[in-house]
Amino acid sequence: MTCRELIRNCCLFAIIFSISLLLPACNQQKGNGKKTVAFVTNGVDPFWVIAQRGAEKAGEDLDVNVEVRMPPQGVADQKRMVQELLAQNVDGIAISPIDPENQNELLKEIAARSILITQDSDAPESPRQCYIGMDNYTAGRMCGELVKEALPDGGEVMLFVGRLGQANARQRRQGVIDELMDRSHDGSRYDKPGEVIKNDKYSILDTRTDDFDHPQAKANAEDAIANHPNLKCMVGLFAYNPPLCLEAIRDAGKLKEIKVVSFDENEASLQGIMDGTVVGTVVQNPYQYGYESVRVLKALANGDKSVIPENEILHIPARKIRKDNVEEFWIELKSLLDDSAKKDPGQTVNETIKSAMKTDPGATPDPRYPQQQKEPQKDE
Amino acid sequence: MKKILGILILLIVVCGVTAISNQNFVSAYNIQNVTRLTSLFGIISIGVAFVIISGGIDLSIGSVICLIGTMLPYLLAKGVPVPLAFLLVGVLSICIGLAHGLLITKLKLQPFIVTLCGLLIYRGVARGITEDQTQGFGTAHAGLRYLATGKIDLPFIEGFKLPVPFLIMLGLALLAAFLLNKTIFGRYLKAIGNNEAAARYSGINTDRTVIMAYVICSFLAGVGGVLFALDINSVQPEGIGNFYELYAIAAAVLGGCSIRGGEGSILGVVIGAALMRVLRNSITMLGIPSQLEFAIIGAVILVGVITDELVKRYAQKRRANQQSGMYSG
Amino acid sequence: MSSPATTHPAPLLEVAQISKQFPGIKALSQVSLSLNHGEVLAVIGENGAGKSTLMKILAGVQPPDSGKLLIEGAEVSISDVEAALEHGIALIHQELNLCENLDIAANIFLGREPASWNVINQQQTYVESEKLLKQVGLNLPPQTLVGDLTVGQQQMVEIAKALSINARILIMDEPTSSLSLHESEALFAVIRELKARGVSVIYISHRLGEVNDLADRVVVLRDGENAGDLDRASISHERMVQLMVGRNVSQFFPHTPHEPGQVVLEVKQLRTPAYPSHFINFSIRQNEIVGISGLVGAGRTELLQVLFGIDSPLSGSISVAGQEVQINSPRDAIRAGLALVPEDRKLQGLVLEMAVRENMSLASLTRDRKSLGRINFNQERNISEEMIAVMNIKTPSDSQIVQFLSGGNQQKVVLGKWLAMNPRVLLLDEPTRGVDIGAKEEIYTLMNQLASQGMAVLFVSSDLEEIRGISDRVLVMHEGQMTGELSRDEFSEEAIMQLATGQTFSHSQT
Repeated sequence: MTCRELIRNCCLFAIIFSISLLLPACNQQKGNGKKTVAFVTNGVDPFWVIAQRGAEKAGEDLDVNVEVRMPPQGVADQKRMVQELLAQNVDGIAISPIDPENQNELLKEIAARSILITQDSDAPESPRQCYIGMDNYTAGRMCGELVKEALPDGGEVMLFVGRLGQANARQRRQGVIDELMDRSHDGSRYDKPGEVIKNDKYSILDTRTDDFDHPQAKANAEDAIANHPNLKCMVGLFAYNPPLCLEAIRDAGKLKEIKVVSFDENEASLQGIMDGTVVGTVVQNPYQYGYESVRVLKALANGDKSVIPENEILHIPARKIRKDNVEEFWIELKSLLDDSAKKDPGQTVNETIKSAMKTDPGATPDPRYPQQQKEPQKDE
Repeated sequence: MKKILGILILLIVVCGVTAISNQNFVSAYNIQNVTRLTSLFGIISIGVAFVIISGGIDLSIGSVICLIGTMLPYLLAKGVPVPLAFLLVGVLSICIGLAHGLLITKLKLQPFIVTLCGLLIYRGVARGITEDQTQGFGTAHAGLRYLATGKIDLPFIEGFKLPVPFLIMLGLALLAAFLLNKTIFGRYLKAIGNNEAAARYSGINTDRTVIMAYVICSFLAGVGGVLFALDINSVQPEGIGNFYELYAIAAAVLGGCSIRGGEGSILGVVIGAALMRVLRNSITMLGIPSQLEFAIIGAVILVGVITDELVKRYAQKRRANQQSGMYSG
Repeated sequence: MSSPATTHPAPLLEVAQISKQFPGIKALSQVSLSLNHGEVLAVIGENGAGKSTLMKILAGVQPPDSGKLLIEGAEVSISDVEAALEHGIALIHQELNLCENLDIAANIFLGREPASWNVINQQQTYVESEKLLKQVGLNLPPQTLVGDLTVGQQQMVEIAKALSINARILIMDEPTSSLSLHESEALFAVIRELKARGVSVIYISHRLGEVNDLADRVVVLRDGENAGDLDRASISHERMVQLMVGRNVSQFFPHTPHEPGQVVLEVKQLRTPAYPSHFINFSIRQNEIVGISGLVGAGRTELLQVLFGIDSPLSGSISVAGQEVQINSPRDAIRAGLALVPEDRKLQGLVLEMAVRENMSLASLTRDRKSLGRINFNQERNISEEMIAVMNIKTPSDSQIVQFLSGGNQQKVVLGKWLAMNPRVLLLDEPTRGVDIGAKEEIYTLMNQLASQGMAVLFVSSDLEEIRGISDRVLVMHEGQMTGELSRDEFSEEAIMQLATGQTFSHSQT
């Protein structure tokens, strides 16, 4: 009896197993002739939704199948997704490695079995063919310039970030520090957190991390306000940090005393720039990350190496957004999003701009826009 | 009361040490912040205390916070009127508790498994519905957000304002303490947690009591979810509330709830939640690198639990001595 | 107390002037006893007399403060359980210490598994277990899961385990407290067999009847001191009780004949889920005490549980005071006027970590309908104080945690919980198990009083003396079937045993 059950279970398992093997194979056959490329993010975030739209648009324009994968749970998840993609024999993978130094094995595995390019976060040690993105260190220095504009006379500065374990977070932070300390342009420096870094003008008190726990991120900002009465500027390095800093400052009634410098294009941060509560922000162009990744991968898959520049880095530059150019940027962002947002065909560009222009907090909220943040927001 | 004493002393010691080393700890502003966060975590801890007293466990709290916390802004964004949105999320959280309770009592599934599946399901549903988009209230609903971020002036005390969530927690805690200590439901709950068979043999409808405990737990997790969402205004379905069930359980156990069921006090649970929050705050105030945060929280709690156990044993010994002295004398 | 006359020059075990002081209380004071080769020595005494402490000292669980232990004339120190085992002393606890998820052989060799390279030699354990099981008269394959055994069989496994380490002295703490008559008999046979092979047994029991049957000698302890020894010739029920209590217990079973009144509980064609093929019919009147006798597994407890709504009946009817009632939960039963003092008070009767008062009120809290779910603390206090007084419960206060009370007082708390409800029918399952002799007497008196006041009392007991002593009428069950009914003048041990083992009794069923 038990023996028969065992055999039956084995058969069942074998059937399920072979079906699960067959399914992706069937998928492959469906897209016969078409190249399939994959776009792997480093997490789940609205930022990546924009990148996804860019990638999908490129897929449409260039007639390529595009698989987008967003690992919600860090390195292990990313590895699993990549290996699944490799098992499906995709023609190329554009990945944003979460921890490039320690993921070298995985990156080598991709390069061995498919075409590897990196995007958003680089892994120069890996056999990647090309990197598409901005230089986080340079972007960090741009952020530091914004701090200098906000505090021309110097003062106490505090940094807030989700995790320091990630390369992009470390590089951004170092950029801010090096710029404020007027050091030379060298991305390989690393100042340990927990120590006050100061020169005659600026003193960077600490870098607080919150592990992506938003209530904790707000608590960190509050603790900083409580603990440092002379704090002059807060720098939020991940997209969700600046709005939470702003919340804390508003609650403490210190909007006049403490400036906020932001990273990425969170809607609340942009709103803050318009209202004058946020000095400015440094933004990337995730749509282009997506689009360019697919374009480069398709070319490489077809054996065309001419798309790769000399230094193997395809820079999509970061931009500083201040009060003078925020409206322009916002409209651009909205139209970019809605251009590829197929789910929302009813809305015309005009309406989009109108809703984007709606900045009066007292006005009736647009049902789609202010509460539901479809705005890019990058926290990793 | 004796069980609370240990944790209360620990709380006072941590506060004292921090206050001495950093004046800013006792600033009105900092105390307001710690109070607000204590209140938010206190509410969910009170909820799980009911389940723990009944002898069960609820691992789904963090995910319920996530689901309710994302659903409220989501519904409001869809144009649902505020009262209806509140009603809907309230009913949703009650239904979650009801489902847990029914599965645990009627189907006799283990609470650990039922709520573990809940942990996975609710976050998944929240992420699915919102498509992983961060939810928020934007600049609207300032009045609603008063519930979480508002502060009330106190007479006689200059500078310090009472955060509104504290009042909400106070109200819920009083209600919970009344339920637990003054009502038949509370008595039954403790009896079931200690000996379910004896409770059943005494004619108690044990199923109904246990279901009620899970409903209370999920409802308070829902209240917590609403307040967290209103507080931070940026609810990320993937991240919000991760591990909060463990903070809540830790606070409840620190506050004297036996994980075996049968005992617990609401005041203790609130003090437990306060200790958890004060510890995190103290670590910042003392200038300890945030990388060491969890190590220190874990160590302090462990020391607290060990001390508590030692004190209890000492007290037991003394009581035994006294009693035998009574008999021989 | 002077040491008893010794026939051997050196007794197997001698305990000399042992004292043990717990913080503030003298548990044992200068206690002595001796145990000869191949002797069954009964140690009796009321709860708290120091029996358990003495046995724990012998088994190495606790060290004595002063005094000597001699084995075959040589002084030894038994510092821990291992040392005791080395000297061949094995203690079989009242609560059996077996792993129900493991098989018999695994339990017998637990902690001493024959193994090479950490791999257990299963075959060896099975072969040796089989031999040991034969010695204790257990005809079961050693691969049987212990969880599938009856309590009596588990006891045999414990004994086999003790034999496997070549125990010379077997200490048994209340071994029959959860055994049926039949199983007890089997146990006694094994004990006699062991005795014949030279193993000595120290036998602790409350049941004086079996002590009378089994013991070669009796040592009585009272308040941690020797209260007297009885040799085989002078063992008698009266003498033992007298030494234990320190006074004469004139009427141990206070039976006053009652005039039965109206029928209160009538059971017709009832089928229980445990024995679906048998139909049960009986009725009980007011003012009546009815005992249900039978072997363990006869379906007595199952019957009470169906009456009280723990399990639902498959068919049949239950009427209370002439009205048919549907009983599907204890609440239904309570509403109909039934109350059950369950078999295991620690598992089913009491919330051990709650106060006396809270336990007492557990069933009656909802009676006050005006309270809107709040507890009426005044009422609660009044009830518990009244019950403590009525039943003479020895407790410092009604806020004492119930687990710190003695077995007898705990049982009275369970009784008090139900008396507060004023039931028409009181069901009791083994009401005096693990209760010391003084409290037993009080419980019997109480049952009598309740019956005189008009309550119908139905109780299950495995203690034949008890059944015969206080019942007005006895129902006997065998394998789920009601095999007979005896009136008071027909009570004899033989008659009950005949019915309990399924033989027909000359008296026809009414």
